[in-house]
Amino acid sequence: MVPHSIKGDVVVIGGGPAGMAAALSSWEAGARSVFLLERNEYLGGILPQCIHPGFGLQIWGEELTGPEYAETFIEKLNRTGVEVMTDTTVLELSPERVVKAVNSEGVWELKADSIILSMGCRERTRGMLRIPGHRPAGIFTAGLAQYLVNIAGYLPGEEIVILGSGDIGLIMARRLTLEGARVKMVVEIKNSLSGLVRNYVQCIQDFNIPLLFSHTVTEVRGKERVEAVMISEVDEGGNPLSGSEREVECDTLLLSVGLIPENELSRQAKIPLSPLTGGPWVDEDFSTDLEGFFACGNVVSVFDLVDYVTLVAERAGRAAVFPSSPQKKYILQTGEGVHTVIPQRIREGKDGFLFIRPQKSMRSVTVFLRWEEKIFYEKKISICRPSEMIKLNLSEIPWPQVKGEIKVEIEGTEIRGIS
Amino acid sequence: MSEKFDVIVIGGGVVGCAIAWYLAHFDLQILLLEKDLDVCSGVSKANTGIIHSRSYWTPRTLKGELHLRSLPWIEQAEKELDIEFLKTGALTVAFSRSELEFLKTLKRRGKIKGAEILTPQEARTLEPMLSDKIFAAYYDPETRVASPFQLNLALAESAFLNGVRFIFGQEVTGFEKEGNHIRIFTREGEYLSRWVVSSAGLSSSYLAQRSGENIPSLRALRGEYLVLDRECKDLVRHVLYPVPVGETKGILVSPTTDGNILVGPNLEVAEDEDTSTTKEGLKEVEEGGKKLIPFLPVSQTIATFSGLRPTSPDRDFHIFFSSRFPSLLHLVGIESPGLTASFGIAEYTGDLLKERGLKLSEKRDFIFRSSFPVFRKLSWEERKKLIQEDADWGKIVCRCEEVTIAEVKHALLSSPGASTLDGLKRRVRVMMGRCQGGFCGMHLPFLMAETLGLEEREIVKSGKNSFYLGKETKEVRSGAPLY
Repeated sequence: MVPHSIKGDVVVIGGGPAGMAAALSSWEAGARSVFLLERNEYLGGILPQCIHPGFGLQIWGEELTGPEYAETFIEKLNRTGVEVMTDTTVLELSPERVVKAVNSEGVWELKADSIILSMGCRERTRGMLRIPGHRPAGIFTAGLAQYLVNIAGYLPGEEIVILGSGDIGLIMARRLTLEGARVKMVVEIKNSLSGLVRNYVQCIQDFNIPLLFSHTVTEVRGKERVEAVMISEVDEGGNPLSGSEREVECDTLLLSVGLIPENELSRQAKIPLSPLTGGPWVDEDFSTDLEGFFACGNVVSVFDLVDYVTLVAERAGRAAVFPSSPQKKYILQTGEGVHTVIPQRIREGKDGFLFIRPQKSMRSVTVFLRWEEKIFYEKKISICRPSEMIKLNLSEIPWPQVKGEIKVEIEGTEIRGIS
Repeated sequence: MSEKFDVIVIGGGVVGCAIAWYLAHFDLQILLLEKDLDVCSGVSKANTGIIHSRSYWTPRTLKGELHLRSLPWIEQAEKELDIEFLKTGALTVAFSRSELEFLKTLKRRGKIKGAEILTPQEARTLEPMLSDKIFAAYYDPETRVASPFQLNLALAESAFLNGVRFIFGQEVTGFEKEGNHIRIFTREGEYLSRWVVSSAGLSSSYLAQRSGENIPSLRALRGEYLVLDRECKDLVRHVLYPVPVGETKGILVSPTTDGNILVGPNLEVAEDEDTSTTKEGLKEVEEGGKKLIPFLPVSQTIATFSGLRPTSPDRDFHIFFSSRFPSLLHLVGIESPGLTASFGIAEYTGDLLKERGLKLSEKRDFIFRSSFPVFRKLSWEERKKLIQEDADWGKIVCRCEEVTIAEVKHALLSSPGASTLDGLKRRVRVMMGRCQGGFCGMHLPFLMAETLGLEEREIVKSGKNSFYLGKETKEVRSGAPLY
């Protein structure tokens, strides 16, 4: 292709699980000019480096590895006319739906009827946490370490401390142990697990790796390469307790301390973003508040399962071809016990999903939907955790014949640690 | 080693490089020795990069004199070095009537056209996020901001272009007389020169002592900083100074040439040249910044770091010839405003050497440096053109700072080129953005090894033992093809 200006039906930015599913779904819905832009040299986003199984259980009932999960979509895409552009970085996005990108062939300008944002997320860094101490080599985010091990073929180091009990950190604890590295401990500032319980059991418990709740890293030591970290017990507010500090020798510190939706392009396009999630506000079709823009996957809010990302991306891909009225009936608000709800807007509420992330681990849980004082929906579940979104089908919910704000609330008995 | 140099400069910081660059204007054989693996690796790598205007000079000191002497160089340097000194202007903010006196002093000292003392309303018109508790502010239109890395590198590159040789990893341990020459010993070798200029930052008092001077050791006074995301770009447009309480300029909030906001530095004694940050120090910096800008978005912090000030007991610069080695010049205690004063220091150094007999005959063919394009700052037309010439211009390796493979390769292959990941970072801003190398850290070590013909495991972050990668995985060690 000669670099030039292109007009398309749908342009999808980001070729991870969300972007692949969305592009495919737009194609299947009848769009014939679909572009999928990916800055990496291959599609799949983070999946190719996730060589562990556990993907696909929810939607296909079988356990695939990350590369297998990605390959399923890549094969399907190959059978469509979706124009996949890898090694292509989008640098500008305008509210008028003009995308400017570069690759080794030149500068591209794509104007589309619909734009689907699927840029995913990035990892929180040491700088953001402001962990004091030296700045030696040997500090990696867990995802970067995962790439180094599984794609590049190098260990990040040999004596490892992992900060944060997020899923990538837990998975890497096992992976590095299997590679002969010594994972000395995982420390988690909260009093409960950040990742999935199954990852705790399979990656930490099965390998006898110590996991310290209510602890954090307070200092990095070592001028050239990490030599040790100081860890400390913390109070409820996350403040180190004096006297609890001790040194742990290690040559590597991995950070698994959260993911941030990547919305620099969304901001350029002036798409309204939720301060709570950092991503665009969306409705059940994953249409944003700016007409013609859709968003799906971790760019909206970080999902815990790739299966859910696929489900929402399929909706976004379809909606990008058949946009519906921008009128929304309900605005969902997070109430007691709720960290986030996705979507935050409901247009009809007839089909689609509602994902609710609880604030705390609780048992004997009830989820409520409330319009003013009236509870019009409640669902009982045995257990909930911040690491696992509660997924409801919108069709189950008897929406009231009103318009306005709906509050989502969760009640239950708090539990700590893993149990 | 039998090669004789006219001048050896010890230290590849901004001052050492400025001296080498200045002397490169004359017909001289010059060598620069640096103990680390790159220029800009010590004191020079961690400061605000502010070119303090004449309002901020310190009367009756050598540092003040050289500060003033440096300022007329700025425009010349912009042309010769092809770098930007961003003219942001500055506001010095008083919070009480008693602090107003200091603003008047600045105005009197500066005698700068357009400088004035502003009411809070006027100040907030210029800088809307400024605290509403301010009493008055002094506006200085002449304050500029440089990138400390770019200035240091531009000086080094220009020096190299004009014949200066650089040898890295050379920690000087001592001096010996050899006729009217000086033999310099390092851990790795020996070098012979007629003249030696020691501008070794934190090591400068140690080197003076090694040459037989009885002078007190410098104290390393540390300053910690916060760097905020480029998304905060237009939040602060001027350099914001508080009225200083001690001997330093206090905790500033400053825009940078790359669109970040820099907050700091505080002041604390650093044991053993320790450049770590501390929880308390960062808190102090945050509070200092919030005093000026109450809504400072510190949640947008992308990095923290600390720098050291090589401080002499009287807090002045000390530039003197060794009593035992008449052609060895020591520069001791070059702290703030060392970057601002670097041109003045270089010229002054040249004068001192000349007075002692160094012949300075100006080169006819001094070459001006032209900086390599920065993709992020180019227009779309320029980008198109470059990609047509070299496809590497279309390959973005760092998305946060939009750095292309072409720029990375150039930084590795230019002279003096990057030999460490930090060196690469300071040249082209990879790993310096909001993901702090989370993404480009996947590619850079490998691109670097390939471009420089090194083993991947040899790649270091900064020091020679700061290895980035551990051993190979079992799969690779077994010889199986990877993925």
